[in-house]
Amino acid sequence: MPFAATAQLGPALFDSAARPAFALLESTTGLAPALLDVSFRDGYVGSIIFVSLYVSLTAVALSTLVSVPAAVAIGLADFPGKGFVKSVVNTGMGFPSVVVGLVVLFAVSNQGPLGSLELIFTREAMIMSQFVLATPPITAISLAAVGGVDDGVRDAARVLGGTRVDVALVVVKEARYGIATAVLAGFGRAISEVGSVLIVGGNITSASGISKTRTLTTAIQLEARQGQYETAMVLGAVLVALVLTVNAIVVRFGDRGVAG
Amino acid sequence: MLRARGVSRSYGDEPVFRDLSIEVDAGEVVAVIGPSGVGKTTLLRTLALALEPDEGVVTLDGTDAWAVDETERLALRRRVGMVFQEASLFDGTVARNVEYGLRVRRSWSDRLASVLRLNGAADAVDESLEVVGLTDKVDQPAESLSGGEAQRVSFARALAYEPDALLLDEPTSDLDPRNTAVIEEAIGEARDRGIGVVVATHDMHQAERVADRVAVLLDDGISEIGPTEKIFESPTDERTRKFISGELVY
Repeated sequence: MPFAATAQLGPALFDSAARPAFALLESTTGLAPALLDVSFRDGYVGSIIFVSLYVSLTAVALSTLVSVPAAVAIGLADFPGKGFVKSVVNTGMGFPSVVVGLVVLFAVSNQGPLGSLELIFTREAMIMSQFVLATPPITAISLAAVGGVDDGVRDAARVLGGTRVDVALVVVKEARYGIATAVLAGFGRAISEVGSVLIVGGNITSASGISKTRTLTTAIQLEARQGQYETAMVLGAVLVALVLTVNAIVVRFGDRGVAG
Repeated sequence: MLRARGVSRSYGDEPVFRDLSIEVDAGEVVAVIGPSGVGKTTLLRTLALALEPDEGVVTLDGTDAWAVDETERLALRRRVGMVFQEASLFDGTVARNVEYGLRVRRSWSDRLASVLRLNGAADAVDESLEVVGLTDKVDQPAESLSGGEAQRVSFARALAYEPDALLLDEPTSDLDPRNTAVIEEAIGEARDRGIGVVVATHDMHQAERVADRVAVLLDDGISEIGPTEKIFESPTDERTRKFISGELVY
């Protein structure tokens, strides 16, 4: 299915999935039903869930592709300044998100180096900013996980005839729980992000109310600012449920990997 | 076959050994004995081509391992197996551990095909596990094994790809007598297969039981090397005599 078609279908699917989730939320939380008696325009909630997941999962996937090999390379190599590199990576975990948003905004603005790509106020720009935010925690936690792998295991892989790639694969397998934690931390940072996605995405919906660059977090921020606290609470619950679901899937996936 | 000639190795300013020479031929067992911390592990890692000596050469069938490019060195390293004091098994089943050496020698397409077929342990894996008496554990997770069983699997893992030389670093130091006996029988089996074995041990009785020749590593070099009987009954070096008789205390 072409990507454009998937992108169109996505919000509808998420909207239909959100309704039973609200009913379940109402039946299980014990919160006052009035709190959950919130009406949304058709497709609105589904579209912001879709945008949130699309942006965050893409950013985390791209970041993982960069961060994990980088962490393994740094972890297995022995070079002068390794401690400094680790310090820089760890410092990156504390990047203020609004500053990252401003930098990405500058990069994709008309006067910026990526201005010709016309990415300003698009999901792609939001992915860029979340990529920058997710990369340090994924790299730093993966690096710690790689460093925690028993030296004996690495030595064994090497003396048994493994190439550098073979040794790296063994280390990744041994460190997979730590790496999964790193990816989850990166996902947590990305999906809970407000400042930078607000700056580079613009929190935009279409005339029909379907999200273009509005995420759950920016929607919550908007609703709260407008005094729609019940709506903000419901969207917050959806966000927490999403994070829990993704965590459960990753943990379940990890357990199956061990069993296999 | 596997020879170290005039090798020296230090960590920082601290020399481990200097101008050391040792060799093992096919179908021969050489025991390296010496007190803890004298450099037996460093020597074995040097022989395994995992550590480059500061000086001297390590050759396998005449080829200087550190004078060739990395690809050739990998090919040489793949002719040598090593078992560590700790079993250091990988996460996975016993079969996946034992076939590791075989797996990394295959092309990537063969590895993928092997995974997709989900085939059981190869014949070499079964044969290696038979040597250490663990064929019934083939599908067990490595983490479920006892320490002795794990070390036996570690031995089978190094034996599976039929190396020309097998280096054993204190392979029985943490094992009970039964597991020790199994490992010592396996050393004999490796010798019968024509594999040259170097076993580092601080157990002099074990060296007497399994070795054809013994090298005594004291201070920063080998004080004496020769046939097992001669080393234990009529050593020519005074330090060797004192070490074997227990008079030389470290």
